[in-house]
Amino acid sequence: MDLQAFKQRILPVQGRLFRLAQLFLRNREEAEDALQDVLMRLWSNRQQLDAYHSVEALAVQMTKNLCLDRLKAHRRQPVTATDDYQNVLATDDSPYRQVELLDSASQMQRLIDALPDQQKLLIHLREVEDYSFDEIEQITGLTTNNIRVILSRTRQRLRDDYLKVNNNETGY
Amino acid sequence: MKQAIDELLERYYEGETTLAEEKRLREFFQQETIPPHLQSHAEQFRYFAATREQQPSAAFTQQLATKLTRPEPTRLLGLTPWTLRLAASVALLLLGFVGGIFYNQHQNPVADAPLPSAVSPAAEMKKVLAFSSLSETSASERIQAVNQSFEMTQADQATTQLLINTLNFDANVNVRQAACQALTHFEHEPGVREALIQSLSIQTDPNVQITLIEMLVAIKEKRAVQEMQRLAKRPQVMDVVRQKAQEGINSLAQLS
Repeated sequence: MDLQAFKQRILPVQGRLFRLAQLFLRNREEAEDALQDVLMRLWSNRQQLDAYHSVEALAVQMTKNLCLDRLKAHRRQPVTATDDYQNVLATDDSPYRQVELLDSASQMQRLIDALPDQQKLLIHLREVEDYSFDEIEQITGLTTNNIRVILSRTRQRLRDDYLKVNNNETGY
Repeated sequence: MKQAIDELLERYYEGETTLAEEKRLREFFQQETIPPHLQSHAEQFRYFAATREQQPSAAFTQQLATKLTRPEPTRLLGLTPWTLRLAASVALLLLGFVGGIFYNQHQNPVADAPLPSAVSPAAEMKKVLAFSSLSETSASERIQAVNQSFEMTQADQATTQLLINTLNFDANVNVRQAACQALTHFEHEPGVREALIQSLSIQTDPNVQITLIEMLVAIKEKRAVQEMQRLAKRPQVMDVVRQKAQEGINSLAQLS
Protein backbone atom coordinates (compact mmCIF):
# COMPACT_ATOMS: atom_id res chain seq x y z
CA MET A 1 0.00 0.00 0.00
CA ASP A 2 1.64 3.24 -1.11
CA LEU A 3 0.95 6.78 0.02
CA GLN A 4 -1.73 7.21 -2.65
CA ALA A 5 -3.66 4.12 -1.61
CA PHE A 6 -3.20 4.99 2.02
CA LYS A 7 -4.68 8.43 1.45
CA GLN A 8 -7.57 6.96 -0.46
CA ARG A 9 -8.44 4.19 1.93
CA ILE A 10 -7.43 5.36 5.39
CA LEU A 11 -7.61 9.12 5.48
CA PRO A 12 -11.36 9.32 4.69
CA VAL A 13 -11.91 7.27 7.83
CA GLN A 14 -9.98 9.63 10.08
CA GLY A 15 -13.13 11.63 10.94
CA ARG A 16 -14.74 8.47 12.21
CA LEU A 17 -11.67 7.45 14.14
CA PHE A 18 -11.44 10.91 15.62
CA ARG A 19 -15.06 10.84 16.82
CA LEU A 20 -14.48 7.40 18.28
CA ALA A 21 -11.43 8.65 20.14
CA GLN A 22 -13.47 11.62 21.34
CA LEU A 23 -16.13 9.26 22.61
CA PHE A 24 -13.65 7.63 24.93
CA LEU A 25 -11.18 10.39 25.72
CA ARG A 26 -13.53 13.40 25.68
CA ASN A 27 -10.72 15.76 24.87
CA ARG A 28 -9.85 17.16 21.50
CA GLU A 29 -6.08 17.18 21.87
CA GLU A 30 -5.93 13.71 23.32
CA ALA A 31 -8.28 12.39 20.67
CA GLU A 32 -6.15 13.91 17.93
CA ASP A 33 -3.06 12.48 19.53
CA ALA A 34 -4.61 9.03 19.67
CA LEU A 35 -5.81 9.35 16.10
CA GLN A 36 -2.36 10.31 14.92
CA ASP A 37 -0.91 7.40 16.80
CA VAL A 38 -3.31 5.00 15.11
CA LEU A 39 -2.72 6.46 11.66
CA MET A 40 1.05 6.36 12.01
CA ARG A 41 0.87 2.76 13.17
CA LEU A 42 -1.24 1.90 10.17
CA TRP A 43 1.17 3.77 7.95
CA SER A 44 4.24 2.01 9.24
CA ASN A 45 2.48 -1.33 8.86
CA ARG A 46 1.03 -0.50 5.49
CA GLN A 47 2.73 -3.48 3.85
CA GLN A 48 0.55 -5.86 5.83
CA LEU A 49 -2.69 -3.94 5.49
CA ASP A 50 -3.69 -5.62 2.24
CA ALA A 51 -4.01 -8.88 4.12
CA TYR A 52 -6.90 -7.51 6.17
CA HIS A 53 -10.42 -8.00 5.00
CA SER A 54 -11.43 -4.55 6.17
CA VAL A 55 -8.82 -1.97 6.97
CA GLU A 56 -11.50 0.31 8.38
CA ALA A 57 -12.64 -2.30 10.89
CA LEU A 58 -9.01 -2.77 11.86
CA ALA A 59 -8.53 0.95 12.29
CA VAL A 60 -11.65 1.23 14.45
CA GLN A 61 -10.49 -1.66 16.60
CA MET A 62 -7.06 -0.14 16.97
CA THR A 63 -8.50 3.23 17.94
CA LYS A 64 -10.83 1.70 20.51
CA ASN A 65 -8.07 -0.37 22.07
CA LEU A 66 -5.62 2.49 22.08
CA CYS A 67 -8.11 4.81 23.78
CA LEU A 68 -9.03 2.25 26.41
CA ASP A 69 -5.35 1.57 27.04
CA ARG A 70 -4.66 5.24 27.49
CA LEU A 71 -7.57 5.66 29.88
CA LYS A 72 -6.32 2.71 31.87
CA ALA A 73 -2.75 3.99 31.87
CA HIS A 74 -3.72 7.45 33.02
CA ARG A 75 -6.05 6.02 35.66
CA ARG A 76 -8.36 8.92 35.53
CA GLN A 77 -11.76 9.89 34.28
CA PRO A 78 -12.01 11.32 30.82
CA VAL A 79 -11.75 15.07 30.75
CA THR A 80 -15.04 16.66 29.82
CA ALA A 81 -14.59 19.23 27.16
CA THR A 82 -17.97 20.65 26.32
CA ASP A 83 -16.57 23.45 24.22
CA ASP A 84 -16.81 21.26 21.16
CA TYR A 85 -20.54 21.44 21.37
CA GLN A 86 -20.50 25.19 21.37
CA ASN A 87 -19.04 25.10 17.87
CA VAL A 88 -21.34 22.38 16.71
CA LEU A 89 -24.51 23.88 18.03
CA ALA A 90 -23.78 27.42 16.98
CA THR A 91 -26.81 27.97 14.82
CA ASP A 92 -29.24 30.78 14.58
CA ASP A 93 -31.00 29.64 17.72
CA SER A 94 -31.51 32.18 20.45
CA PRO A 95 -28.81 32.32 23.14
CA TYR A 96 -31.26 30.95 25.64
CA ARG A 97 -32.01 27.96 23.48
CA GLN A 98 -28.32 27.50 22.80
CA VAL A 99 -27.61 27.29 26.51
CA GLU A 100 -30.49 24.91 26.89
CA LEU A 101 -29.21 22.75 24.05
CA LEU A 102 -25.70 22.87 25.37
CA ASP A 103 -26.96 21.87 28.75
CA SER A 104 -28.94 18.93 27.50
CA ALA A 105 -26.08 17.96 25.20
CA SER A 106 -23.61 17.82 28.06
CA GLN A 107 -26.21 15.95 30.05
CA MET A 108 -26.48 13.40 27.30
CA GLN A 109 -22.71 13.21 27.10
CA ARG A 110 -22.45 12.46 30.80
CA LEU A 111 -25.06 9.75 30.43
CA ILE A 112 -23.10 8.15 27.59
CA ASP A 113 -19.86 8.41 29.55
CA ALA A 114 -21.54 6.44 32.30
CA LEU A 115 -22.26 3.55 29.94
CA PRO A 116 -20.07 0.43 29.91
CA ASP A 117 -17.44 0.52 27.18
CA GLN A 118 -19.18 -2.02 24.99
CA GLN A 119 -22.54 -0.26 25.03
CA LYS A 120 -20.82 3.05 24.49
CA LEU A 121 -18.99 1.69 21.46
CA LEU A 122 -22.00 -0.03 19.92
CA ILE A 123 -24.36 2.89 20.17
CA HIS A 124 -21.71 5.23 18.87
CA LEU A 125 -20.93 3.07 15.86
CA ARG A 126 -24.62 2.74 15.04
CA GLU A 127 -26.01 6.18 15.79
CA VAL A 128 -23.09 8.37 14.81
CA GLU A 129 -21.28 6.40 12.16
CA ASP A 130 -24.21 4.57 10.56
CA TYR A 131 -22.48 1.21 10.66
CA SER A 132 -24.56 -1.75 9.56
CA PHE A 133 -24.89 -4.77 11.83
CA ASP A 134 -22.47 -6.64 9.59
CA GLU A 135 -19.84 -3.96 9.98
CA ILE A 136 -20.32 -3.81 13.75
CA GLU A 137 -20.00 -7.58 13.78
CA GLN A 138 -16.67 -7.30 12.00
CA ILE A 139 -15.36 -4.76 14.46
CA THR A 140 -16.61 -6.21 17.73
CA GLY A 141 -16.89 -9.90 16.90
CA LEU A 142 -20.38 -10.01 18.39
CA THR A 143 -23.25 -11.77 16.63
CA THR A 144 -25.94 -9.69 14.97
CA ASN A 145 -28.47 -10.79 17.56
CA ASN A 146 -26.18 -9.78 20.36
CA ILE A 147 -25.62 -6.42 18.76
CA ARG A 148 -29.36 -5.91 18.37
CA VAL A 149 -30.02 -6.72 22.01
CA ILE A 150 -27.23 -4.52 23.34
CA LEU A 151 -28.26 -1.68 21.06
CA SER A 152 -31.87 -1.94 22.14
CA ARG A 153 -30.92 -1.95 25.81
CA THR A 154 -28.56 0.97 25.44
CA ARG A 155 -31.12 3.08 23.61
CA GLN A 156 -33.71 2.43 26.26
CA ARG A 157 -31.28 3.03 29.07
CA LEU A 158 -30.15 6.34 27.62
CA ARG A 159 -33.74 7.56 27.39
CA ASP A 160 -34.61 6.30 30.85
CA ASP A 161 -31.53 7.91 32.37
CA TYR A 162 -32.26 11.12 30.54
CA LEU A 163 -35.82 11.19 31.80
CA LYS A 164 -34.67 10.39 35.31
CA VAL A 165 -32.13 13.23 35.36
CA ASN A 166 -34.54 15.75 33.91
CA ASN A 167 -37.44 14.77 36.14
CA ASN A 168 -35.19 15.18 39.15
CA GLU A 169 -33.93 18.51 37.95
CA THR A 170 -37.27 19.92 36.97
CA GLY A 171 -38.91 18.41 40.00
CA TYR A 172 -41.52 16.31 38.26
CA MET B 1 -46.78 10.59 9.81
CA LYS B 2 -46.77 10.87 13.56
CA GLN B 3 -48.17 7.40 13.70
CA ALA B 4 -45.30 6.27 11.59
CA ILE B 5 -42.78 7.97 13.87
CA ASP B 6 -44.32 6.37 16.93
CA GLU B 7 -44.09 3.01 15.30
CA LEU B 8 -40.54 3.62 14.16
CA LEU B 9 -39.52 4.69 17.64
CA GLU B 10 -40.93 1.52 19.08
CA ARG B 11 -38.89 -0.56 16.69
CA TYR B 12 -35.89 1.69 17.28
CA TYR B 13 -35.87 0.85 20.98
CA GLU B 14 -36.15 -2.82 20.08
CA GLY B 15 -33.09 -2.50 17.89
CA GLU B 16 -35.14 -3.48 14.83
CA THR B 17 -34.87 -0.36 12.70
CA THR B 18 -32.78 -0.17 9.55
CA LEU B 19 -30.22 2.54 8.89
CA ALA B 20 -32.66 4.30 6.55
CA GLU B 21 -35.37 4.32 9.19
CA GLU B 22 -32.99 5.64 11.77
CA LYS B 23 -32.09 8.39 9.37
CA ARG B 24 -35.76 9.33 9.11
CA LEU B 25 -36.03 9.46 12.88
CA ARG B 26 -32.92 11.60 13.12
CA GLU B 27 -34.21 14.03 10.58
CA PHE B 28 -37.58 14.17 12.27
CA PHE B 29 -36.06 15.13 15.59
CA GLN B 30 -33.90 17.78 13.99
CA GLN B 31 -37.05 19.81 13.39
CA GLU B 32 -37.81 22.88 15.42
CA THR B 33 -41.24 21.74 16.51
CA ILE B 34 -41.60 18.32 17.91
CA PRO B 35 -44.84 16.99 19.33
CA PRO B 36 -44.72 17.18 23.17
CA HIS B 37 -45.20 13.49 23.69
CA LEU B 38 -42.10 12.79 21.61
CA GLN B 39 -39.98 15.47 23.22
CA SER B 40 -38.29 13.08 25.60
CA HIS B 41 -36.84 11.08 22.71
CA ALA B 42 -35.43 14.08 20.93
CA GLU B 43 -32.29 14.61 22.93
CA GLN B 44 -30.55 11.36 22.00
CA PHE B 45 -31.11 11.95 18.32
CA ARG B 46 -29.96 15.53 18.55
CA TYR B 47 -26.92 14.58 20.50
CA PHE B 48 -25.86 11.91 18.05
CA ALA B 49 -26.62 14.12 15.09
CA ALA B 50 -24.43 16.82 16.58
CA THR B 51 -21.65 14.37 17.28
CA ARG B 52 -21.59 13.44 13.61
CA GLU B 53 -20.29 16.89 12.80
CA GLN B 54 -17.12 16.55 14.84
CA GLN B 55 -13.95 16.54 12.79
CA PRO B 56 -10.27 16.63 13.59
CA SER B 57 -8.96 20.16 13.36
CA ALA B 58 -7.47 21.50 10.16
CA ALA B 59 -4.15 21.96 11.91
CA PHE B 60 -4.17 18.28 12.72
CA THR B 61 -4.88 17.07 9.20
CA GLN B 62 -2.19 19.37 7.87
CA GLN B 63 0.30 18.13 10.41
CA LEU B 64 -0.60 14.57 9.54
CA ALA B 65 -0.16 15.18 5.83
CA THR B 66 3.35 16.52 6.36
CA LYS B 67 4.12 13.62 8.68
CA LEU B 68 3.02 11.14 6.06
CA THR B 69 4.98 12.73 3.25
CA ARG B 70 8.09 13.87 5.08
CA PRO B 71 9.34 10.60 6.58
CA GLU B 72 8.81 8.84 3.28
CA PRO B 73 12.42 8.96 2.04
CA THR B 74 13.87 7.85 5.36
CA ARG B 75 11.29 5.12 5.56
CA LEU B 76 12.27 3.89 2.13
CA LEU B 77 15.86 3.83 3.28
CA GLY B 78 14.77 2.04 6.39
CA LEU B 79 12.83 -0.47 4.37
CA THR B 80 15.87 -1.74 2.50
CA PRO B 81 18.73 -1.52 4.92
CA TRP B 82 20.09 -4.89 3.93
CA THR B 83 20.25 -4.06 0.23
CA LEU B 84 22.04 -0.83 1.03
CA ARG B 85 24.46 -2.61 3.29
CA LEU B 86 25.03 -5.24 0.65
CA ALA B 87 25.66 -2.61 -1.99
CA ALA B 88 28.01 -0.74 0.31
CA SER B 89 30.01 -3.85 1.11
CA VAL B 90 30.26 -4.85 -2.54
CA ALA B 91 31.35 -1.32 -3.41
CA LEU B 92 33.94 -1.40 -0.65
CA LEU B 93 35.23 -4.75 -1.85
CA LEU B 94 35.49 -3.50 -5.43
CA LEU B 95 37.23 -0.38 -4.21
CA GLY B 96 39.72 -2.56 -2.40
CA PHE B 97 40.40 -4.61 -5.51
CA VAL B 98 40.73 -1.58 -7.75
CA GLY B 99 42.97 0.08 -5.18
CA GLY B 100 45.11 -3.03 -5.02
CA ILE B 101 45.43 -3.21 -8.79
CA PHE B 102 46.41 0.45 -9.01
CA TYR B 103 48.88 0.06 -6.18
CA ASN B 104 50.50 -2.90 -7.91
CA GLN B 105 50.69 -1.10 -11.21
CA HIS B 106 52.48 1.79 -9.58
CA GLN B 107 54.75 -0.46 -7.57
CA ASN B 108 55.76 -2.75 -10.40
CA PRO B 109 57.94 -0.37 -12.44
CA VAL B 110 60.17 0.02 -9.36
CA ALA B 111 60.11 -3.59 -8.28
CA ASP B 112 60.43 -4.92 -11.79
CA ALA B 113 63.24 -2.61 -12.81
CA PRO B 114 65.93 -5.33 -12.72
CA LEU B 115 63.57 -7.82 -14.33
CA PRO B 116 63.84 -6.75 -17.98
CA SER B 117 67.62 -7.18 -17.81
CA ALA B 118 67.10 -10.53 -16.12
CA VAL B 119 64.84 -11.50 -18.97
CA SER B 120 67.66 -10.95 -21.41
CA PRO B 121 70.94 -11.01 -19.47
CA ALA B 122 72.67 -12.03 -22.64
CA ALA B 123 71.76 -8.80 -24.32
CA GLU B 124 72.87 -6.78 -21.32
CA MET B 125 76.07 -8.74 -21.15
CA LYS B 126 76.77 -8.32 -24.82
CA LYS B 127 76.31 -4.64 -24.50
CA VAL B 128 78.82 -4.32 -21.68
CA LEU B 129 81.33 -6.78 -23.07
CA ALA B 130 81.18 -5.47 -26.61
CA PHE B 131 84.72 -4.92 -27.75
CA SER B 132 84.01 -1.44 -28.99
CA SER B 133 82.85 -0.26 -25.57
CA LEU B 134 85.89 -1.63 -23.81
CA SER B 135 87.17 1.83 -23.00
CA GLU B 136 83.82 3.01 -21.69
CA THR B 137 83.24 0.26 -19.14
CA SER B 138 85.08 -0.44 -15.92
CA ALA B 139 86.60 -3.83 -15.09
CA SER B 140 84.15 -4.46 -12.28
CA GLU B 141 81.23 -3.75 -14.62
CA ARG B 142 82.58 -6.29 -17.09
CA ILE B 143 83.11 -8.86 -14.33
CA GLN B 144 79.53 -8.31 -13.26
CA ALA B 145 78.39 -8.79 -16.84
CA VAL B 146 80.40 -12.00 -17.12
CA ASN B 147 78.99 -13.25 -13.84
CA GLN B 148 75.50 -12.74 -15.19
CA SER B 149 76.16 -15.72 -17.41
CA PHE B 150 76.10 -17.88 -14.29
CA GLU B 151 72.39 -17.26 -14.08
CA MET B 152 71.87 -18.55 -17.58
CA THR B 153 71.21 -22.24 -17.93
CA GLN B 154 71.81 -22.27 -21.63
CA ALA B 155 73.95 -20.06 -23.76
CA ASP B 156 73.82 -19.52 -27.48
CA GLN B 157 76.75 -19.34 -29.86
CA ALA B 158 76.95 -15.60 -29.57
CA THR B 159 77.26 -15.65 -25.80
CA THR B 160 79.99 -18.25 -25.69
CA GLN B 161 81.86 -16.46 -28.47
CA LEU B 162 81.58 -13.25 -26.50
CA LEU B 163 82.96 -14.93 -23.40
CA ILE B 164 85.79 -16.49 -25.38
CA ASN B 165 86.68 -13.11 -26.80
CA THR B 166 86.63 -11.66 -23.31
CA LEU B 167 88.82 -14.48 -22.08
CA ASN B 168 91.39 -13.92 -24.79
CA PHE B 169 91.39 -10.21 -25.31
CA ASP B 170 90.09 -8.37 -22.26
CA ALA B 171 92.56 -5.90 -20.87
CA ASN B 172 91.92 -6.83 -17.27
CA VAL B 173 93.27 -10.04 -15.77
CA ASN B 174 90.40 -10.41 -13.37
CA VAL B 175 87.85 -10.11 -16.14
CA ARG B 176 89.65 -12.78 -18.14
CA GLN B 177 89.70 -15.02 -15.10
CA ALA B 178 85.98 -14.49 -14.57
CA ALA B 179 85.35 -15.26 -18.23
CA CYS B 180 87.36 -18.43 -17.89
CA GLN B 181 85.28 -19.57 -14.97
CA ALA B 182 82.10 -18.61 -16.76
CA LEU B 183 83.09 -20.60 -19.82
CA THR B 184 83.62 -23.80 -17.84
CA HIS B 185 79.92 -23.51 -17.07
CA PHE B 186 79.22 -23.98 -20.74
CA GLU B 187 81.69 -26.78 -21.29
CA HIS B 188 79.11 -28.69 -23.30
CA GLU B 189 78.52 -25.84 -25.73
CA PRO B 190 80.23 -26.39 -29.05
CA GLY B 191 83.62 -24.75 -29.37
CA VAL B 192 84.02 -23.90 -25.71
CA ARG B 193 86.48 -26.68 -24.81
CA GLU B 194 88.54 -25.99 -27.90
CA ALA B 195 88.59 -22.31 -27.09
CA LEU B 196 89.83 -23.02 -23.55
CA ILE B 197 92.66 -25.25 -24.86
CA GLN B 198 93.58 -22.65 -27.43
CA SER B 199 93.50 -19.93 -24.83
CA LEU B 200 96.17 -21.76 -22.84
CA SER B 201 98.69 -20.85 -25.52
CA ILE B 202 97.46 -17.30 -25.78
CA GLN B 203 97.39 -16.34 -22.10
CA THR B 204 100.52 -14.88 -20.59
CA ASP B 205 99.31 -13.98 -17.11
CA PRO B 206 100.20 -16.71 -14.61
CA ASN B 207 96.94 -16.27 -12.69
CA VAL B 208 94.86 -16.88 -15.76
CA GLN B 209 97.11 -19.70 -16.87
CA ILE B 210 96.72 -21.46 -13.51
CA THR B 211 92.99 -20.95 -13.57
CA LEU B 212 92.82 -22.34 -17.10
CA ILE B 213 94.78 -25.43 -16.12
CA GLU B 214 92.59 -26.02 -13.09
CA MET B 215 89.47 -25.61 -15.15
CA LEU B 216 90.65 -27.92 -17.89
CA VAL B 217 91.51 -30.56 -15.30
CA ALA B 218 88.13 -30.05 -13.68
CA ILE B 219 86.30 -30.64 -16.97
CA LYS B 220 88.66 -33.55 -17.70
CA GLU B 221 89.73 -32.23 -21.07
CA LYS B 222 92.48 -34.63 -22.22
CA ARG B 223 93.10 -32.80 -25.45
CA ALA B 224 94.68 -30.05 -23.32
CA VAL B 225 97.58 -32.31 -22.35
CA GLN B 226 99.57 -31.34 -25.44
CA GLU B 227 99.15 -27.63 -24.75
CA MET B 228 100.07 -28.13 -21.11
CA GLN B 229 103.25 -30.04 -22.03
CA ARG B 230 104.22 -27.18 -24.30
CA LEU B 231 103.49 -24.73 -21.48
CA ALA B 232 105.57 -26.77 -19.02
CA LYS B 233 108.54 -26.71 -21.36
CA ARG B 234 108.35 -23.02 -22.14
CA PRO B 235 111.17 -21.26 -20.24
CA GLN B 236 109.58 -17.84 -19.93
CA VAL B 237 106.58 -19.23 -18.09
CA MET B 238 106.72 -18.92 -14.33
CA ASP B 239 107.82 -21.93 -12.32
CA VAL B 240 104.54 -22.09 -10.46
CA VAL B 241 102.65 -22.31 -13.73
CA ARG B 242 104.92 -24.94 -15.13
CA GLN B 243 104.51 -26.94 -11.94
CA LYS B 244 100.73 -26.54 -12.19
CA ALA B 245 100.82 -27.63 -15.83
CA GLN B 246 102.80 -30.71 -14.88
CA GLU B 247 100.27 -31.52 -12.17
CA GLY B 248 97.46 -31.09 -14.67
CA ILE B 249 99.14 -33.43 -17.15
CA ASN B 250 99.58 -36.01 -14.44
CA SER B 251 96.03 -35.85 -13.18
CA LEU B 252 94.65 -35.96 -16.73
CA ALA B 253 96.90 -38.94 -17.50
CA GLN B 254 95.63 -40.75 -14.44
CA LEU B 255 92.09 -40.46 -15.75
CA SER B 256 92.78 -42.65 -18.73
